[in-house]
Amino acid sequence: MAEHVILFTGPMGAGKTTAIQNLSEIEVVRTEANNSERHIVDKETTTVALDYGEILVDGDEKVRLYGIPGQQRFSFMWSILKKRAKGMILLVNSDAPDPIGEMTFFLEEFRELYDRGGVVIGITRADVVAGPTLAEFSEALERTNPGLVIPVFTVDPRNRDQMENVLLALIVNIEMREAFGMLTATETA
Amino acid sequence: MSPGLHTKPAVVKAASTLLAEMQEASSSLTYAALLTDDGFDVARLPGETDGTRFAGMASSMQALGDAVTHELKIGASEYLIIASGKGHVVQLRVPGQELVLSALFDNDATVGHALAVTRTFAQKMADLLLT
Repeated sequence: MAEHVILFTGPMGAGKTTAIQNLSEIEVVRTEANNSERHIVDKETTTVALDYGEILVDGDEKVRLYGIPGQQRFSFMWSILKKRAKGMILLVNSDAPDPIGEMTFFLEEFRELYDRGGVVIGITRADVVAGPTLAEFSEALERTNPGLVIPVFTVDPRNRDQMENVLLALIVNIEMREAFGMLTATETA
Repeated sequence: MSPGLHTKPAVVKAASTLLAEMQEASSSLTYAALLTDDGFDVARLPGETDGTRFAGMASSMQALGDAVTHELKIGASEYLIIASGKGHVVQLRVPGQELVLSALFDNDATVGHALAVTRTFAQKMADLLLT
């Protein structure tokens, strides 16, 4: 039975907790605290350690879903969580002050997950504001990280079907790159 | 929307004073920090240290403790203790507030003493915030 460990990354308010909640088939382990930065992102609570959920794909492939806290003061958790993951769904909210900057920041921060697994990018809240287009995200990706094969989607983290498609796209991407010997050695947790 | 307690000068001042009193009450106290539930440093001892990273860590620990007690269905988490060869960290939530007090004691203090001191000062902080 294959197992995957996938990390959901991206800034606060991108929809990581919501995505994991919608995908998980077990009760999600959540570590929420009241958000005292509502002037920055207007949501009541924020993740301060991790989110954890699980989903089975193809009947017997267990996928462990971990979510990071999005703020840099929790970067010590990023180091802990990135060690055990083998792929990343990077969610970026279109209504962030600099969504393209956030995308390139998190991609750089978690770049090792591309090297030993794969990355898919989901642009969220694209229906809320007229942020950068998918083409602009892709161009920025090619400019900052030429040659990387990273699919970019718009996605609604509240929509389970959409999130499942993003997750399956990532798993197929990882398995293909694995089959073609394109990955570096997996780090152990 | 109300801003976090770390942004309120009166709270920061009261927290700093409280930590100084805590050190007077226990010579074994070597580090202490008050932080918000969502990981912002409010005050720390010694005061000149950068508490940003520790505040994030302590709030994560607090939330993980809560997640564990929830998972095991054993009610609310009351305190956390990390014991090491050079001392012990005692951490608990300030009653009724979105604040956490985390304190490091050297091994001259028993865990019981460390817990009693930390509890007392967490309650004092709660009382101060109510006045």
